[in-house]
Amino acid sequence: MSLTIRIIPCLDVRGGRVVKGINFKDIIDAGDPAEAALRYDQEGADEICMLDIDASYEARSTTLETVEKIANQVFIPFTVGGGVKSIKDVEILLKSGADKVSINTSAITNPKLISEASKEFGSQCIVVAIDAKYDSENWHVYTHGGKNKTELEALSWAKEVEQLGAGEILMTSMDKDGTKSGFDNMLNSKLANILKIPLIASGGAGKLNHLVDAVKLGKADAVLAASIFHYQEISIKEVKKALQEEGLSTRL
Amino acid sequence: MKIGVIDYGASNIFSVVRALNSLGAKTSVVKKPEDFNGIDKLVFPGQGSMGSCMSRLNEAEMTIPMKEFIEEKPFLGICLGLQVLFSGSQESTEEKGLGVFSEEIKKFNSPKDTKLKIPHMGWNQIDFSQDHFLWNGLESGEDYYFVHSYISCELKEEFIYSKTEHGQTFNSAISKDNIFATQFHPEKSGKLGLKFLENFLNWRP
Repeated sequence: MSLTIRIIPCLDVRGGRVVKGINFKDIIDAGDPAEAALRYDQEGADEICMLDIDASYEARSTTLETVEKIANQVFIPFTVGGGVKSIKDVEILLKSGADKVSINTSAITNPKLISEASKEFGSQCIVVAIDAKYDSENWHVYTHGGKNKTELEALSWAKEVEQLGAGEILMTSMDKDGTKSGFDNMLNSKLANILKIPLIASGGAGKLNHLVDAVKLGKADAVLAASIFHYQEISIKEVKKALQEEGLSTRL
Repeated sequence: MKIGVIDYGASNIFSVVRALNSLGAKTSVVKKPEDFNGIDKLVFPGQGSMGSCMSRLNEAEMTIPMKEFIEEKPFLGICLGLQVLFSGSQESTEEKGLGVFSEEIKKFNSPKDTKLKIPHMGWNQIDFSQDHFLWNGLESGEDYYFVHSYISCELKEEFIYSKTEHGQTFNSAISKDNIFATQFHPEKSGKLGLKFLENFLNWRP
């Protein structure tokens, strides 16, 4: 009788292909994004996320074709991110079939983009993605796919983008991403405590109990994972069953 | 049969169009009074603020043709398309709604449970209050996708077709004669949502 915990498979896409990296490096090819999206929908995904990890200007039209292809077949919420720099970029992605647009680096270089985009298209379609890494006493925000360290601290940055009009926070722990050692539940629970908007936990899924812990300990509203779903190590159904056994509500 | 989809200029109508097209329906975008010609059924999707939506509809001189249309032909309102059917909304004291229902749209109560988040965004259960053609092949208690901050909570029981709970109970589907409206987004509710839209295409009220 309440909102269900959302399970979100993520497609990391480059040049129209799904790819997967380890700790933001060592990229390998992992198949066709539209096929993968359709399979996830059939398996009971609550949402699909697609991140264009290359996002170069030249590759943009390929990305839009992929977005359109997915949107024509999959009728669940669809978030697209990667290289979003302007209101125009947001608009083009929404027109191509995205329901939500995720903004990362440009949210930092141009925070006005968050307030303007949420005003123009509604907060519900603006997701701010944050990549953060722990550094002795707090979590630092990184930009450009984890390449550049900023002075920003993740918790206060998340609170700031919430005030600017972000509708959701997609939090990726760079320490955990690709390690399959579990989510950064310390970071996530601290975030969940201060945020009014939903928190999507990302980075570190390896075993079934990691996803359950991301909700129970990390207090996340939604859990995002890429490779465990992509390589069929764990099915979405198994995750939902495990959440239900813990008394957490899920769809299906 | 042609399905008109209202585009008042501030909402993403593409997902509704895609979903209807995937079911084999012919759609056309309705953004000016002439666009109502040749339309057999109307879908009004929308998210956001009722006040700005109504003022845009008024500016485009769409309000009167729309009122005429919904007096006789099948109409499906989705999310904001449900809310505009009411006489007004707490969110905007200036702009009036279409007034099919005399009650008012209200903001969600500030939740006593601080973990409860507004906007109500995600998958939640709808519980049927009474039977309807549009529920064919669907079951009470299944999950649909919601994104909204305003709700219909006061309405005569005879018009309520499903209810949902998020800190408080609100009307997630309502209907009167040839008008049906949902607070959830069938176009984003996977297989069940597509079945619901298919029922709308087959509906002969």
